[in-house]
Amino acid sequence: MNIPDTNGERNIALASPAAPSQPQPTPVEDSVISARHLTKKFGDEFAVQDVSFDVPRASIFGFIGPSGSGKTTTVRLLTGVYTPTDGDVSVLDRNPANFSQGERARLGYMPQLFVLYPTLTVWENLNFAASLYGMGLFRGKRLAGALKFVELYEHRGKLARNISGGMLRRLSLAATLVHNPQLLFLDEPTAGIDPVLRRKFWDHFRELKDQGRTIFITTQYVSEADNCDLVGVQSNGKLLVVDTPQGIRHRAYGGDMVDFRTTQPFDFQAEAMLRSLPFVRAKTVRTGADSMRIIVDQANSDTAELMGWAQRQNIQVKTVEEYMPPFEDVFVELVRPELSHG
Amino acid sequence: MGDFFRGIIRSSSFFRKEIFEILRQPRLVATLVLGPFLILFVFGIGYRDQPGSLRTVFVTPPNSALPTQDIERYMKSVGSQLVYVGATGNLDEALNRLRLGKVDLVIVEPGDAVSTIKNNQQAVFTLYHHEIDPVRVTYVSYLGWLYVGVVNQQVLRGFAVQGQKDAVNLHVSLQEAHQNLSAMRQAVQSGDQALAQQKQQQLAGNVDAVSLGVGTSLGLLDSLQQTQGINGGTADPAQTTLSDLQQNTSQLGNSTDTKDQQLARIDKTDKDLSDLDAKLAEFQSIDPSIIVSPFRNETKSVANAQPSTADFFALAVLALLLQHLAVTFAALSIVRERNVGTMELFRVSPLSAAEALFGKYISYMLFGGVIAAILAALLVFALHVPMLGNWWYLALVIAAVLFTSMGIGFAISIISETDSQAVQYSMIILLASVFFSGFIMSLDMLWVPVRVISWLLPTTYGTLLLRDIALRGIDPNWGLLGALIALGLALMLISWRLMRRLITTSE
Repeated sequence: MNIPDTNGERNIALASPAAPSQPQPTPVEDSVISARHLTKKFGDEFAVQDVSFDVPRASIFGFIGPSGSGKTTTVRLLTGVYTPTDGDVSVLDRNPANFSQGERARLGYMPQLFVLYPTLTVWENLNFAASLYGMGLFRGKRLAGALKFVELYEHRGKLARNISGGMLRRLSLAATLVHNPQLLFLDEPTAGIDPVLRRKFWDHFRELKDQGRTIFITTQYVSEADNCDLVGVQSNGKLLVVDTPQGIRHRAYGGDMVDFRTTQPFDFQAEAMLRSLPFVRAKTVRTGADSMRIIVDQANSDTAELMGWAQRQNIQVKTVEEYMPPFEDVFVELVRPELSHG
Repeated sequence: MGDFFRGIIRSSSFFRKEIFEILRQPRLVATLVLGPFLILFVFGIGYRDQPGSLRTVFVTPPNSALPTQDIERYMKSVGSQLVYVGATGNLDEALNRLRLGKVDLVIVEPGDAVSTIKNNQQAVFTLYHHEIDPVRVTYVSYLGWLYVGVVNQQVLRGFAVQGQKDAVNLHVSLQEAHQNLSAMRQAVQSGDQALAQQKQQQLAGNVDAVSLGVGTSLGLLDSLQQTQGINGGTADPAQTTLSDLQQNTSQLGNSTDTKDQQLARIDKTDKDLSDLDAKLAEFQSIDPSIIVSPFRNETKSVANAQPSTADFFALAVLALLLQHLAVTFAALSIVRERNVGTMELFRVSPLSAAEALFGKYISYMLFGGVIAAILAALLVFALHVPMLGNWWYLALVIAAVLFTSMGIGFAISIISETDSQAVQYSMIILLASVFFSGFIMSLDMLWVPVRVISWLLPTTYGTLLLRDIALRGIDPNWGLLGALIALGLALMLISWRLMRRLITTSE
């Protein structure tokens, strides 16, 4: 296992856990999406293998994984574009293959690539998408609103072929949101979007969630996982873990991480005593002459224990605070065993 | 808002989208309108309703019976298609010129034609050419046939001219016969049997002379009468008259006849002689060219208009172009949705196959209709192609052609994986239409089972129906129009089923 140092420049080798097994979820009572042993093969190749999870209503479910890990295939299985080779899937309590027109109208789908028309203007493309969902003739206000949200209103008269890749993603998102769907499937919606607009997107996704909408979102930006209520980490077609962002961090490192900083340099004796404390779960890592990064069972409760121990040992504590490792590191920790086994 | 109304909105999304996409390509629209118009315009002013002339060299054998001036004259009789460039006695040299492209045709005169004919065989003119185009080969054969016809006619004309010259001598014999007969009548009336006997013998000599000469001359006239089937009428054939004359003349020498019987025979003989005389005069008065070629043809049409070749083809071009336009646009339409990726969006959206197809049908029908209206107006008002029928019927046929062609296009589009595949299939349809729709050659020239292909092509129906309406000024053949629409409906059903599978069936 690798734990990054505070500057993120140096990785210190720690013990590697065994490869995580496929998680089997506890059924969620009010789930909008439910997948059980979902498998999709193309020829002899598994694109998705034995994937099971539930997505509760009014939540944001982040699906994270490296390129080629089967995220898009999973989205297509959930939207009915693909039929599973094996397993079951239920979306809005129906098999997606048997959706009625009314049920489809409740979905919003943003594919990974821009799939609208280069020779139509931004406005015409959005109008086309709105018509596909049967939106009424007086939809101009809603179209304008969607374009303003993705900051494309000023560009509404431009042909799609003449706008940038990021703008195309924004147009796709507007086209997905324009009919106000209940359940959104967003396949890498923030790819190619600048950080400021990305933040705005996530703010809007949370607003939608607060309005009771459910969002299934895939992303390669691992850091975005923190914005999700639940995160599924996928690699090589297998779902490695489904948990809250905090839970995933915990799983990745075997506990919570705490940065322990003193006013004076640490001596070896003190360090040895610290490592032997019962709530310290793994080896401590010296990150400086006067600082250590410690993995504990629970950061909230164990921080007080740590302060008590320091006081008893006459160690002057400068700061003790929970360290949230970047999700990129968490992701690497989770995926590494799978990759090494694969 | 009801499901039906939502369906209309979904269909309308395609209608607007397709129209906008097309209008964003003004060059394409201009090409679709101006291209065919310019082609027809240039074809109209450039087409000459005459096949090209062939530079012809003659090869004459050393013992040729045809003088050079006759060769030239005969060629001119054929028409301007044969251009005389010279005569030579050397076949190899002539063939060499042919291979080098310096001449187009070498006609070799038969050697010793008279002997060949005397041996009861036809003498052969051999035509050498360097053509590979089957139509041109047929054309050369046709010209050869015409040329030999002219030569044969000239030979027969020679016979006729000779017969007319011979007829002058026959007149003399007939006059002598009349005089001898007149003398014989007087001898019989006066009872001078010896003189009557003498005149009868002289008369018999005259009749024999006429019999020998008249055969060739009046035989031609008899043949003409027999061809017309008038030998059963009042006028006896010359040969019958001649036989009667010979028989009567011979019986005039019969000594057992009474005086009245003899006079009666003399009257009959006199009449036969007069008939023969009249026939000879008639024969002489006819132009020898008419005698050897008594018939010619004239064609008259009862159609309401006699369109030019360009006019005739203009409507076929219109039908073919509209079919190709509709097939190509429709063929590219759905395959492009697949390639762009919108099909994935459609699968997730509430869009149904019928709604998507309906929207596309309507948009392309409208677009094709506008193109067709402009083209039809240009054909009629700018190129002056006759438009004798009802414009509404014309519009109906055009709509049916577009509708059915789109069915083919959509079916192609759904089974195609790529744009280029769709274009290839469309080109095959175009090629099939050129060969099987009656565009180039009449359907009658196709083997009946192969005509099944013809009747699967909208151009076949369109060409026939548009020509009927515009060039004949008659109502469309409703059976044909019904069959075209039925074909379109069948194709729409197939397209819908394929499209439904494409939209609803997952991989």
